[in-house]
Amino acid sequence: MKTIEKLMNLRLLAILFAALTIASCSDDDDAPGEEDELEVITSVTLQFTNNADPMDVITATAVDPDGEGIAELQVQGGIALAADTQYTLTFIILNALDPDDVEDIGEEILDEDDEHQFFFSFTDGAFDSPTGTGNISPATGAINYNDQDDNGNPVGLSTNWTTAATGTTMGTFTARLQHQPPVNETPVKTSTSTSEDGEPDFNLTFDLTIQ
Amino acid sequence: MFLVFVSASIVAQKNPCTLSISGKVLDAETKAPIPYVTVRVSNTDKYDLTNQDGIFKIEGVCSETNTLIISCLGYSESEHEHHHDHGSSPHFYLTPTIVGLDEVTIQAEINKDKGTESIAQVTVSKEEIISKPTQTLASVLSSQQGVTFASTGTNVELPVIHGLSGNRILILNNGLKHGFQTWGREHAPEINVNSTNSITVVKGAAGVRYGPEALGGAIIVESNPLLLNNPLYANVGTGYQTNGRGYNANLEIGEGTDKWSYYINGSYIRIGDRKTPDYNLTNSGREEKAFGFGVLRHLENWDFKINYSFIDQNLALLRSSIAGSADTFIRSINAEEPLIINPFSYDIDEPNQDVQHHLAKAEISWWYSDDAKLTFRGGIQLNQRDEFDVRRNSNLPIIDLDLLTYDYQLEWQHPRWYGLNGLIGVQYFSQNNDNNPGTQTTPLVPNYNIDRYSAFITESLGFGKNTFEAGVRVDFESNDVRGRETNQDIFRDNYNFTNLTTSLGYIRRFNENTTFRTNIGTAWRTPNVFELFSFGQQRYESIFGLLRFSNTDGTSSTSEVIRFEDSDVEPERGYKFINEFKTTKNGNQHNLTVYSHFIENYVFDRPIGVFGTVRGPNTAFFFDQVDALFLGADYSWRREWTKNIVGTFGFSYLWTTTPDNEGDLINQPPISTDYELQWDHGKLWKFESSRLTIRPSYTFRQFQAPRTIPLESLADGSVEITTDSEIFDFADAPDGYFLLDLSWNLKWKAFSANIAVTNLLNARYRNYLNDLRYFADEPGRNILFTLNYSFKSKKND
Repeated sequence: MKTIEKLMNLRLLAILFAALTIASCSDDDDAPGEEDELEVITSVTLQFTNNADPMDVITATAVDPDGEGIAELQVQGGIALAADTQYTLTFIILNALDPDDVEDIGEEILDEDDEHQFFFSFTDGAFDSPTGTGNISPATGAINYNDQDDNGNPVGLSTNWTTAATGTTMGTFTARLQHQPPVNETPVKTSTSTSEDGEPDFNLTFDLTIQ
Repeated sequence: MFLVFVSASIVAQKNPCTLSISGKVLDAETKAPIPYVTVRVSNTDKYDLTNQDGIFKIEGVCSETNTLIISCLGYSESEHEHHHDHGSSPHFYLTPTIVGLDEVTIQAEINKDKGTESIAQVTVSKEEIISKPTQTLASVLSSQQGVTFASTGTNVELPVIHGLSGNRILILNNGLKHGFQTWGREHAPEINVNSTNSITVVKGAAGVRYGPEALGGAIIVESNPLLLNNPLYANVGTGYQTNGRGYNANLEIGEGTDKWSYYINGSYIRIGDRKTPDYNLTNSGREEKAFGFGVLRHLENWDFKINYSFIDQNLALLRSSIAGSADTFIRSINAEEPLIINPFSYDIDEPNQDVQHHLAKAEISWWYSDDAKLTFRGGIQLNQRDEFDVRRNSNLPIIDLDLLTYDYQLEWQHPRWYGLNGLIGVQYFSQNNDNNPGTQTTPLVPNYNIDRYSAFITESLGFGKNTFEAGVRVDFESNDVRGRETNQDIFRDNYNFTNLTTSLGYIRRFNENTTFRTNIGTAWRTPNVFELFSFGQQRYESIFGLLRFSNTDGTSSTSEVIRFEDSDVEPERGYKFINEFKTTKNGNQHNLTVYSHFIENYVFDRPIGVFGTVRGPNTAFFFDQVDALFLGADYSWRREWTKNIVGTFGFSYLWTTTPDNEGDLINQPPISTDYELQWDHGKLWKFESSRLTIRPSYTFRQFQAPRTIPLESLADGSVEITTDSEIFDFADAPDGYFLLDLSWNLKWKAFSANIAVTNLLNARYRNYLNDLRYFADEPGRNILFTLNYSFKSKKND
């Protein structure tokens, strides 16, 4: 009897062991799937288009070629505008880490325009419109936004600028995109929110000359 | 391992210190007497050994209420291990003829795991755990000397033993290495404390027994012991806490017959936003659901055991802890209060972590002779982790990982052989980590498979008052890694390790009240996948793994993934020497633990300053290896001031250094001290017992913190940091702080009620070991009310 019970127990043990072993051995060598990286921005181009002559486009680009890698940001040249001219400023915002699959982050921003806003700062007197130094500091400064979100708040994918007649040398121009997602379903982007609310998606300063 | 209480009623005598307790210790199953059992009156130096007939007699006892500690440890342990395994209540049986005192509680001493007997360890009992059911595993343990916790906010808390945490502390969940994402400081073990029966902290290198990750120590979480001959019982508990308006409920039902035993339990916890003395910690809530069961089938020489546990956690991280650029980080550090403060809410929004963990285990034990046992243990764990972040696609997880862990162990506790008691084991352990697609971000941690084959032997030799213990373990581990670079190119790597772990210990029992333990343990730990391959932004830092960062002639680069065989990465090698001296005399109990721990190639994340990104300047860290030395001591002194008032003083000290002069290590526990005063009222009004505990504690400022370099100076370039620069931090270590905790426990029939007040004085403080110390204060006063009801059906003897 004893032997039989022992054998029964051994069988039970064998079954348990087998059940556990079958479940394992699931080694695979799959790499993680390819992802469309929509968080990382590697290049931002500012496009100043002359309202009087759409073929007259002045650009300035900043590139961070390795994205999250440790290589420094490269600001490629300054912004050189003509005096006493009306420009429309638009942006090309890309993730070009994968050269075969360049992501246009601008579309993402347009989709979520109720939680994004562009802010600007520049050398005092560089522009006739807007006047002042922009809306980063002080936050109440004027900017000519051409677009607004569903809540009627400005976005800044397109803005209007009129350069002053007197030229500017050694000036600076800062463009800053703030991501302002809601907290506990309370919107952060409001008519009174500033460049201090939310997190910068980019914050780039270029040399500015106007002549 | 077990811890059980049994009550027996006995006759009282009048004069103090002339009382005596005598009795007979029998095997409850066979009613045969058990000889050579130590019976000790708890917290005194009074003890006796049972004779051949199982009889003991202890004279000169002063108190009418006693706890008797019954243990076979060190004498005939292996002969009676069978008894231990099945718990004391059915196996230690006192004859009804005991002459003595009012009430005797029998408490079986914790039977230490083989291979760790010479290492200092402490156990937290079920009673202590359930008095604060909303705690995390780490905070339950943090009242022990030498143990604290490192945290990321209010919900993610990792145990720290003697300055080491994370993947240097092995967490043994129900006999299996808890298989979870053990990287970074923001991943805590998914363990529901209400479902545990006891938690033991092994403070020394316990790698031989449990595996190389136990370099800094081990935490052993035991579930219900599945006692036999245990009539139907049910424990129901519920509670409410004021800070975070949290509520919780838990239930456990179980029963043991002479052949079967089972339990089933469940727990639910929900807590909203916590509050500091001044403001709400917006998005700091937590929701946790847990469920588990176990079944034991007992045959004459066999035990079959099955356990299953499930936990589902949703943990919020402070909303204001997101800082994507140095600019936001500077504003957060410089602000008195977090940048985002909203009214109270139970909502858990981004950033948060949503994790499910399943654990299934089968265990078979076979006592094929009186003193020998074979144990097979097999386990499967599935850990599914989704982490959400504040970002453009915040509805998609930014981390979506499935980690599957298999663990098979075969252990042979061999018969006594020339006086040697020992355990020989083999183990196969494998992990398969997969990224689920659809996160729209390059995976932070690659896919990988780990296969590990291990064998160990640990032997102890006892003669007289001395016990020697020695062990050795060999692990062969192969790793297969597949990841993506940020341009979505695939990289692959394969590498193997063979690790050797050893342990040598000695125990001297001078007498029943004084014990000295010493142990030297070595352990090798393989750097984990995160330490090797991490790349990119995490909360307020960009972090680069050992194989993702190179530095040639002062030029840093992260442009390529280095192959492991081409790198100079070495395993961590730890050497821990730990000594414990324990003595009990005249109502005083002293416990002193002194240790030194040298770690070669200690892996840590080291700041390299600030680099430019399109977002603005960003703080960057890279993983580096240095040699590190940890020296420290834990001391506790327990004194019975009167029959009813017991005080315990505790002090923990840790000193660290990098012998190569790299500067002070960051995030090391500061010195702390506390005094716990317990006042037992006995019967109070209608209540059968009432106990008041008051616990003032003081945590010093970390005077060994690295130098501070303000981010402003890094961002504007006025301070230049290279890979050789001394270690630094972005903010000064917070000031020391005084906390006062209070707890009052009442028992009435089957009910017990507990009121626990933490931070009674509502102190404002920041904890150096909390990663969110840059952003917010710690929670203020919390009052936790709990009510437990224990039902136990009557048993007919």
